[in-house]
Amino acid sequence: MEPLGWGAIFWQVFLQFTPVWIALALIFVVSIRFKRRLNLYGRLFDSPVGMLGLALVLFWIMTAIMADLVAMYPALDQFSGMKNARPGAFLPGGDDQAFLFGGDNLGRDVFSRMVYGSQTVLAIAPVATIFAFMVGITLGLPAGYYAGRIDTVLSFLANLVLAFPVILLFYLLVTPEMRDTPIPTVLAGVLFVFPVIFLVTLYYSRYQARPDVLWKYLLAVLVPGLYLYLGLAYGLVPLGPLEMTPNILNIFVAVVFVNSPTVFRIVRGLALDIKTRDYVSAAQTRGEGPWYIMLWEILPNVRGPLIVDFCLRLGYTTILLGTLGFFGLGVSPESPDWGMTINEGRRLLSIYPHPALPPALALITLVLGLNLLADGLREQSLKD
Amino acid sequence: MAKWDYDAPILEIENLSISFFTRAGEIPAVMDFSCTVERGEAMGLVGESGCGKSTVALGVMQYLGKNGRIVGGSIKYKGRDLSLMSQEELRRLRGSEIAMIYQEPMASLNPAMKIGRQLMEVPLIHEKAGRREARRTALEMVEAVRLPDPERVLDAYPHQLSGGQQQRIVIAMALMSKPSLLILDEPTTALDVTVEAGVVDLVNALAEDFGTSMLFISHNLGLVLEVCDRLSVMYSGETVETGSIEDVFDRMRHPYTQGLFRSIPLPGADKTARPLVAIPGQFPLPHERPPGCNFGPRCNHFQPGRCDAQEVPTFPVPGDDRHETRCLRWQEIDWEAEPERDKGAAAIEPGEIVLKVDDLRKYYEVAANRMFGGEKRVVKANESISFEAREAETLAIVGESGCGKSTLAKVLLGLETASAGKADLGDVDLAHVEVEDRDARTVGSIQMVFQNPFDTLNPSHSVGAQITRALEKFGVGDGPEDRERRMLELLDVVKLPREFARRMPRQLSGGQKQRIGIARAFAGDARVVVADEPVSALDVSVQAAVTDLLTDIQRQRRTTMLFISHDLSVVRYLADRVLVMYLGHVVEIGTTDQVFSPPYHPYTEALLSAVPIADTRVKQRHIVLEGEIPSAMNPPSGCPFQTRCHRKVEVPGDLCEREVPPLRTLPTGNAVKCHLAQDILDRMEPVIELAGTTERA
Repeated sequence: MEPLGWGAIFWQVFLQFTPVWIALALIFVVSIRFKRRLNLYGRLFDSPVGMLGLALVLFWIMTAIMADLVAMYPALDQFSGMKNARPGAFLPGGDDQAFLFGGDNLGRDVFSRMVYGSQTVLAIAPVATIFAFMVGITLGLPAGYYAGRIDTVLSFLANLVLAFPVILLFYLLVTPEMRDTPIPTVLAGVLFVFPVIFLVTLYYSRYQARPDVLWKYLLAVLVPGLYLYLGLAYGLVPLGPLEMTPNILNIFVAVVFVNSPTVFRIVRGLALDIKTRDYVSAAQTRGEGPWYIMLWEILPNVRGPLIVDFCLRLGYTTILLGTLGFFGLGVSPESPDWGMTINEGRRLLSIYPHPALPPALALITLVLGLNLLADGLREQSLKD
Repeated sequence: MAKWDYDAPILEIENLSISFFTRAGEIPAVMDFSCTVERGEAMGLVGESGCGKSTVALGVMQYLGKNGRIVGGSIKYKGRDLSLMSQEELRRLRGSEIAMIYQEPMASLNPAMKIGRQLMEVPLIHEKAGRREARRTALEMVEAVRLPDPERVLDAYPHQLSGGQQQRIVIAMALMSKPSLLILDEPTTALDVTVEAGVVDLVNALAEDFGTSMLFISHNLGLVLEVCDRLSVMYSGETVETGSIEDVFDRMRHPYTQGLFRSIPLPGADKTARPLVAIPGQFPLPHERPPGCNFGPRCNHFQPGRCDAQEVPTFPVPGDDRHETRCLRWQEIDWEAEPERDKGAAAIEPGEIVLKVDDLRKYYEVAANRMFGGEKRVVKANESISFEAREAETLAIVGESGCGKSTLAKVLLGLETASAGKADLGDVDLAHVEVEDRDARTVGSIQMVFQNPFDTLNPSHSVGAQITRALEKFGVGDGPEDRERRMLELLDVVKLPREFARRMPRQLSGGQKQRIGIARAFAGDARVVVADEPVSALDVSVQAAVTDLLTDIQRQRRTTMLFISHDLSVVRYLADRVLVMYLGHVVEIGTTDQVFSPPYHPYTEALLSAVPIADTRVKQRHIVLEGEIPSAMNPPSGCPFQTRCHRKVEVPGDLCEREVPPLRTLPTGNAVKCHLAQDILDRMEPVIELAGTTERA
């Protein structure tokens, strides 16, 4: 069969994303309908930049969720005769499904790999960023609130981590030799305990005086929290689909480790500012404990800048994951991770540019979307 | 200078209307505003926040931003219509003929540039002067605004100067180009009273020297009286009354103007016999203005079908000089009639001693370097403070910023612990127990009302949740349901509808937020409430209502109130006893009558003379203090006030510089910390005198 022309390819790609378009349209229609009741998220729909950002991000989220519907072939399957096939080429077997973006040097479908690659990025980046935020917040709040010696020590440590070249740090943390040392486990043990500490303190500080409510919250946090902690950090309990390979765990730890000092500094700065407000003094004069003040009086009021930073940091993490993959430090060698795919395609770039371009464009659009989303959120949150 | 030889009016504004265009549509900010400023005349614009007075100023400067537009009328500067000028012409005009001074001096100064260079820019750019000449003019100007050591000031960066000095520099900068029109937008609001008095004095003198016309924007009627020749009272975007100071102050012909004067504590007001009369209701939002008279819904003289039937034009008041009022019924209203006042509040007998503070001291140790130690310095924030406060009594603590009144409050509330001394609430020690170590009852029994209504409530929690949380912390009520009920009752107490429990703080006005703050402070049956300038950030018409509420609750619950303030008018109105602080020391203490009549401590004397009083019959002696308040890091030797004291010369020798005077009780009953001999104290004359004895409404 004749390979498809470019027009036909794009039309086919468009059709292939049909489930994603439907989901996007649904989300936008519902959101715009109720935007007046949705606070900051709703106001995002007043800003063209924010909407564009949100659309790009949602596009990739939906693609990741519905990858099995969108992709045409499994990510790892190799097809003989499709090695470095041109975009739009058909399988020799006479199947009517073309390789829309061609085949790579192992005869795998570039389009499907790009679609599945979104899963790797979107599985690691948000969770790792949330963890980094938990660590940053849990340490940044006391540093800003107490100031003094705690602040000096913690800021010094943060600066120390920030002063380390990121890529070198990654090489150190992610190399196979490192995996044999106890360092990643120890780091994971330290970093993963923060979300549990964070949530326990959050509820304990608030419901201290009301044990009847408190134990429900603590139970709801501690049982799954400790289970996940033991499973993720030490592999002591089975986790099923949540199980992380040592490789992914290392990436995860590395990303959290690198991101949390920056979050720490942002939170610390914001806390320094907010703690001078009268409502903080009011909380102090009615005898609130320091953690209640930090988590319930200060934290909710710094959410604006933190949400914006979250989006930006997500983009940064996405690039970081791409970089890691590019250096071959990423997930398993065969996985459709975007960074790794770009690296593989790089070697034949001058002859066959098509395997490297789709993942690169995917990476660009996702990060661009996150940055635009952050811009939109910032713009709208300042309009109060 | 040619540009000063101009005899026609400097500024003529005719039927000016300014609107802002937002997503919600057109919002009129100023409607049908007219005024004329003659050469050398000072015109005051008075009104509450949101009344459009600053918009008028920005309109004159043609700085309305991209949303604002002049939709009607004209602004003529020396006969030329400003809206017809090109951007280039306007720019030349702004720098050299019209200058503007803002509230916050640091907002007008470039923090990265030395004062000298900033001042020199004006002649360099506008007059194409040489560097040396520019420097000389700058030096002259700094001298003209009476800053000490002008050479040093020119070489300083803005942050090296105090707030008052910065504002003087801003004034100097504005006057550099010898403008014909000076616009001052609340120029002294950010300053302390005694510093404010100095700046006002300076503005007055300079205007006279240079013949500059002024547009003076303020919410403070007392200041306007001191500075201006004429004034225009604005309400919700309109001028409601305009005329000369005497006409408007003594023969006001608009209910809003009258309401304003009745809601500020003038000499003669008294919280039991002649309480303030608050203006009911709330300032309308620009897009919710009523039909007809904007003030209608809040006016006692409102006549349905007439006042809300048509737009109200202005009427000239015959016989007066350009005195106009925007009231349909101005000829029918009996302007001399006494307002209805809430009577029945009998004077309260103070009860037992509730709070006893004895020789309380609070020193901070400040190290030069946090991590490696370094030279340690001691800041004496509170030095040997002793006083007693009785049940149901209001004790005012008066002083300017840095006098230690906030530190005292912090120690009492347990946010800091005292370095030495005692503070007992009943038999509970407060001085050395941090609030976290206090039991719930003690915590609830001493609470605070904060100054800034926009800061006192956490924007992220609902109003009800914040009060309920306070109840929970004070150990009041059994269980969530009971606390919910008590929370709603507290809302009743502060006269807010119960629906407010579910509202977020941003949905409340400043006055309403302050009421919630009061509800929260009284949630734990407080025995002592520390009120830190609770109404100073509120609009004048709301202040009286909140003050009333606070005293009502205090009276009913027989709570002791420590009223921290720098506003002596309010203190005189509210307080039973007064404590004056300066640089950590109590310099005078006594009953309100004792403190407000001679003999005074020299600092009290200066404070009293600095407070602007909005009453034309008041004769005030003027004492302008030299210099700035010294830093607590580096206090002067001997008497803390000796560096600025105007009566230091009357003390023989260098006693003031050597020794801290003891707090001695005078025959009149008040105690002062001063070396002045008894006969000098006896000869002191009152600072404030009422010309007539007849009291006015």
